[in-house]
Amino acid sequence: MTLQSQAVSDFQKATQHYIAGLPLDRGAWLTDHRWSAVTRFSDLGFPDKRQEAWRYTSIEGLLKQGFVTSDSDMEVVGTEFEHHFLDGPTAGRVVFVDGAFQPSLSDTHVPGVRINNLRSAMETSDLETLKSVGTLSGPGTHGFSALNMATMRDGALIRVSAGLRLDAPIDLVSISTSSASGRAMRPRHLIVLEQDAEATLVERYLSTSDNAYFTNLVCEVLLEERASLVHQRVQQESPSAYHLADLHIELQADASYRGVNLAIGGAWSRTKIGNSFAAPGASCELHGLYLAGEGQLVDFHLDVDHGVPGCDSRENFRGILYGNGRAVFDGRILVQKQAQKSSAHLSNANLMLSRRAEIDTKPQLEILADDVMCSHGTTVGQIDPQALFYLRSRGLSEERARRLLCLGFASEILEQFESGSLQDHLAELIQQKIGSETKGAS
Amino acid sequence: MLRIRDLRTSVEGKEILKGIDLEVKAGEVHAVMGPNGSGKSTLAHVLAGRDGYQVTGGDVEFLGQDLLDLEVEERAHKGLFLAMQYPVELPGVNNLTFLRESLNAVRRARGEEEMDAVGFMKLVRRKADEVKLDHKLLKRSVNAGFSGGEKKRNEILQMAMLEPRLAILDETDSGLDIDALRTVADGVNMMRSPERALIVVTHYQRLLEYIEPDHLHVLAGGRIVHSGGKELAFELEERGYGWLLEENAA
Repeated sequence: MTLQSQAVSDFQKATQHYIAGLPLDRGAWLTDHRWSAVTRFSDLGFPDKRQEAWRYTSIEGLLKQGFVTSDSDMEVVGTEFEHHFLDGPTAGRVVFVDGAFQPSLSDTHVPGVRINNLRSAMETSDLETLKSVGTLSGPGTHGFSALNMATMRDGALIRVSAGLRLDAPIDLVSISTSSASGRAMRPRHLIVLEQDAEATLVERYLSTSDNAYFTNLVCEVLLEERASLVHQRVQQESPSAYHLADLHIELQADASYRGVNLAIGGAWSRTKIGNSFAAPGASCELHGLYLAGEGQLVDFHLDVDHGVPGCDSRENFRGILYGNGRAVFDGRILVQKQAQKSSAHLSNANLMLSRRAEIDTKPQLEILADDVMCSHGTTVGQIDPQALFYLRSRGLSEERARRLLCLGFASEILEQFESGSLQDHLAELIQQKIGSETKGAS
Repeated sequence: MLRIRDLRTSVEGKEILKGIDLEVKAGEVHAVMGPNGSGKSTLAHVLAGRDGYQVTGGDVEFLGQDLLDLEVEERAHKGLFLAMQYPVELPGVNNLTFLRESLNAVRRARGEEEMDAVGFMKLVRRKADEVKLDHKLLKRSVNAGFSGGEKKRNEILQMAMLEPRLAILDETDSGLDIDALRTVADGVNMMRSPERALIVVTHYQRLLEYIEPDHLHVLAGGRIVHSGGKELAFELEERGYGWLLEENAA
């Protein structure tokens, strides 16, 4: 038996065991969903390198870690995590520690916003809230997302009422501690903005340890007519962690989504963002910045589907690679035959600080309509020696000059994190991360 | 302050500077003129420490130290400044951040305290007014999308902030209209002081109408072929370089 098929059979048994062990009163009605996801998992198995979307990203290391599907019931009180909260005013806070919702750290009382968590919704059989879970993701698009559906335990359920404009961000933060070591967590979030609602959601994954664990995340975002979401995402997991995120976005007529993603942590991370335009007039912007250094892999897959006319999409991703860091960027845009008057632009730029670093970048535009505006561009470059000389001739050390140029490269994306204090914090993180690496990089 | 002796420099195996001798004392302004390809910019770059220039002979002493032995940033710390002919655009690098980092790097090297944000802002606003640089440009990325004149003013602003001992202006006048030229020249003249020396590298004598040099050198074929006072500039304007080249060949 190969490692993969052995793993599939092991995972299947463990998953069946997990589901069988769930108390019936905890969302028993979801059991059907769970079992169908198990079937889905058996059909799909784990992705492998023969599949184009996984060609450059091996899951072997992840499977070898043997992460265990188990739940934490830890409830944190006190202030030890407060410094991880967003600065400034917020319109609600949802905190998870090691995968479990933390009522005393969270603030769910925001007028016009329904903030709940998946576990409590299941326990109280809150069908009204739960009925939308899985509508975009289905039972799973690959083995891992099927496992998420089969064993999902907790996550944020956020619904912003029609017409409501939130002028402060919602803080959604998942913190992993040393107790997460060796475990697979399966968060599942569902974000719904009703008609004409406007909100900013800051979604972050942080760690207080260097331990290895696995975040296997599915997040669904539904934007109703004219709703507008700014979605700022930060993946800052432990340096040994594995992070897999599937993000599904659906936009109704004239809705707008602007997402910015920073991937800076984890040993291995992959984020797939898929969006579908359900009606004309919507716009979707995806921005991203990834950093990969020694021993790190970071992978972004974008899947933008123009299935209706008159929608705009724009993707702008940048990467900084150093040491033997590896990154994969796969940006796919499909403009279907009926999707006339579409506008779709994709750009990916990479800055290589080391000869040992590797990037596989693949923009794919499939355009079947004839009246569209589409473009794509990809660059892979190094630090400009003239720029370096210029800064050094003004007294900056080579190391400092390199850092400043890297931050300059990143700034176009960082600016999308609107809050000044968050931007400063992230810029500081980036500097720390690349600081030692840029010293005498070759 | 600066003593260059028999400096020879090659670029990609081709000898560009074929033995330069030049002495610059504190308080002096020297102009270096010459036809295209004479080695003017090479001289400026090799003094600032740019990569790609191989010194094959001679030496350069700056404030009693072997200049060629110093790293690029160390030269800046010692008080050398090169205003570039083509200032580099740095998209995403904020001009104020850059100026402040630069000033504090130089101050640290001089053993001075770093300047705090308030003191720095006061200083930079005053200096920007002096060189007539729009304050809006301070908040933008360094040189990105600046006009030719704005880039040169930004160079002069950096010079005014860093207060170097020796400033080399490499073709700072190129591509400037007469108003911009005058502003740049005013900025340079403000920098004149008994403790500071300036080397103005230029292709045209026009700039020298605004910045009067104490000494003028004509560089041709990698050598200084003639030196004189500021009156030489007018002679060059009337007669061109031809007579000097012939004289030198003879």
